[in-house]
Amino acid sequence: MLKNPFVTGRNKTVYIYVGLVIVLLLFPLVVSSTFYIHILILSFIYVIAAGSLRLISTSGQISMGHAGFMGIGAYVSIYLSKFLGVSPWISMAIAALITLIIALIVGIPFARLRGIYFTMITLFFGLGALSIEQLFSDYTGGYSGIAGIPALFSTDSKIPYYYFFLILVTVCLIIMFRLEHSRIGQTWKAVAQSYSVASSIGINELQQRVLVFAIGCAFAGLAGAGLAHYSLVLSQSNFNLLASMYLIVYVLVGGIASFAGPIIGTAILVMIPEMSRSLKDYVPLLFAAIMLIVLFTMPKGLAGLPAQVKGWFHRKNKGNTPKEVINNAS
Amino acid sequence: METASTCIMNGLVTSAMYILVSLGFALLLSIMGIFNFAHGAIYMVGGFVTYGFSVALGINPWASFVLSIIVMGLFGLFLEKFCFRPFMGNANSMMIMSIALIFILETGANIWLGGWTRALPSFIPGVLKAGFFSVTWERFLTLIIGAVLLVLMTLLINKTTIGQQMLAVAQDKTGAALQGININRTAAFATALACMMACVAGTLMAALLSLNPYMGDSILNKAIEVVILSGIGSIGGVFFGGLIIGFLNAVLPVFISSALSETIVLVIIMVILLIRPKGLFGYELF
Repeated sequence: MLKNPFVTGRNKTVYIYVGLVIVLLLFPLVVSSTFYIHILILSFIYVIAAGSLRLISTSGQISMGHAGFMGIGAYVSIYLSKFLGVSPWISMAIAALITLIIALIVGIPFARLRGIYFTMITLFFGLGALSIEQLFSDYTGGYSGIAGIPALFSTDSKIPYYYFFLILVTVCLIIMFRLEHSRIGQTWKAVAQSYSVASSIGINELQQRVLVFAIGCAFAGLAGAGLAHYSLVLSQSNFNLLASMYLIVYVLVGGIASFAGPIIGTAILVMIPEMSRSLKDYVPLLFAAIMLIVLFTMPKGLAGLPAQVKGWFHRKNKGNTPKEVINNAS
Repeated sequence: METASTCIMNGLVTSAMYILVSLGFALLLSIMGIFNFAHGAIYMVGGFVTYGFSVALGINPWASFVLSIIVMGLFGLFLEKFCFRPFMGNANSMMIMSIALIFILETGANIWLGGWTRALPSFIPGVLKAGFFSVTWERFLTLIIGAVLLVLMTLLINKTTIGQQMLAVAQDKTGAALQGININRTAAFATALACMMACVAGTLMAALLSLNPYMGDSILNKAIEVVILSGIGSIGGVFFGGLIIGFLNAVLPVFISSALSETIVLVIIMVILLIRPKGLFGYELF
C-alpha cells in the first residue's frame, strides 16, 4: 500500500508545508523590507529549479546541464517578449513548453547513456547551450548581459512578484510532489534502483527516463524565464557550469533523498550569501564551510537533521530497539 | 605554410597541456572514482606556488619549479587522506567535497593573493628558428617537458609495480584488494601524482600565458571533455583524446569565431559519445 501523506493527511509533514505557506503569505504584511522580499523571491525561483533537478534524480539520473536549460527558457522568453512583443505572461508559458520540447528531442538520444556518462553529456549540453547563446549575442547579450527585459507587473513594488512567485512555486512543488508519489513516480524509482529489473517487469525504462528528464527541464525553463522577467537584467553567467554546480549543491546539501531537501538547501544557501553581501568576497568560503559541515556531520543532508537529532535522544533515553532502528533509518 | 606550422605547433603545445591535466584527472576518476571538479583549482594553485617560490622568495626558477612540484605532491597526499578517503565510494559526498574545494582554493587565492593577473618570468627567453618553424623557446620547452612527462608516465604505468597496481585498482577494486594491493596507498600515490602533473601544467601555462585565480575553470572543462571523450578507465586513451581536443581547440579558432568553434567541439564530443556511449576507449566502471 502506497503511503501518500498528501492525500491521507496522516503524516505531520503536510501540516508543516501548509504552515510554511501561511507564514510566507503573511510575511510581506509583517516585514516591509524589500531586501528580504527580494531574497525570498530569488529562493522561490531557485527552489523550482532545484526541486526539478531532484525530480530528475528520482529516476537515478543526475543532470549537470540544468542551468543550461534554465538559460534556454530564459532566452526564449526574452526573445518572445522583448523582440516579438508577446506578453511576458504568455512567453513564460511558451518558454517552459519549448524547453520541454528541446529536452524531449535531446533526451531521446541522451537516454542511451547511463550513470556518469549521462551526467557528462548533460554537462556538455549545458556548455554547448551557453556557447550557442553566445553566438546569438545580438538577442542574448552574451556575457555582458541584456537589459530592458519586459516586466511582469508594471509597478516598482516587489510585493506582486512575491505573491506571484509564491503561488508559482507552491503549484510547481505540488505538481512535483504528486508526480513523485503517483504510479509514474514509483516507476521512476524502480528505474533508479535497477533498470534491467524495471524493464523485465514491463516498464519501458528509456521512455520513462526521457519523460522525467523532459518534465524536470520544463520546470527549469520556467524558473529561468521567471528569473529573467523578475531581475529584468540578465547575463549568461547565471547559466554557466558553476550555476549548474550550485543547483546540484542546493539539492545535495539539502538532502537528495527527501522531497524537502532542495527546499531547505536552496533556502539556506541562497539566503546566507545574499544576506552577507557586505562580505561579498568571502561568500564562497561561507558556502564551502556550510557544505563541509553538512558533509561531515549530516549524512542525509539538512533535511535529515530532525530524524538525526531524534535518533540521538532515543538512543540516550531508551536504547535502540530494533523497531526504532528501522524507523530512524527510513 | 606559416599558418600551418603555427597551427601544428599551437596544437601540439595545447594538446600537451590538456593531456598533462587530464591524465591526473583520469587517474583520480579511474582509480578512486572521484569526479574531481577541483582539479582545475589545483592546477591554478600549482602555478601560484611556483610564482610564490620564484618571484616572492626569489629562488632560481628551475629550483622553485621542482620545489613546487614537491609541495603539490604533499598537498595531494593531504587531500587524499583528509578529503577523499572518508568518502570513498560515495559519489554524492565526493561531488560536494570537490565543489567545496573549488570554492576554498579559488576564493582563498582571490582574497589572500589578489585577483589581478600576473605572469611568471619565462624560463628561457628567445626564439627558436628552424625552417618554417619559428617558435619561442618557452613554447618549445613546454612541448618538450610535456612530451617527456608523458613518456615517463606511460613507462611508470606500464613498467613499474605501482603503475600496474594502479591499473589493477582502476579495473576492479575488490579484485585488486584480493591480490594484496594496498588500495589506500595506491590511491594516495595516484592523487599525489595527479596533483604534481597539474602543478607542472599550471606552472608551464603560467609562464606561457598568465596566472590568475580563476584560470582553472576553463582547463577543467577541457579536462572533462578529454577524459569523457577517451572513456573513463582508459589511461592510454587520454593521449588520443587530448590530441583530438587540443588540435580542435588550437586550430578551429584561427578560422572561425571562438564561440562557434566551442560549439563545434562540444557537438563533436556529444555525437561521439552517442555513437560510443562509453567514450572512445572506455568501459563501464560505475
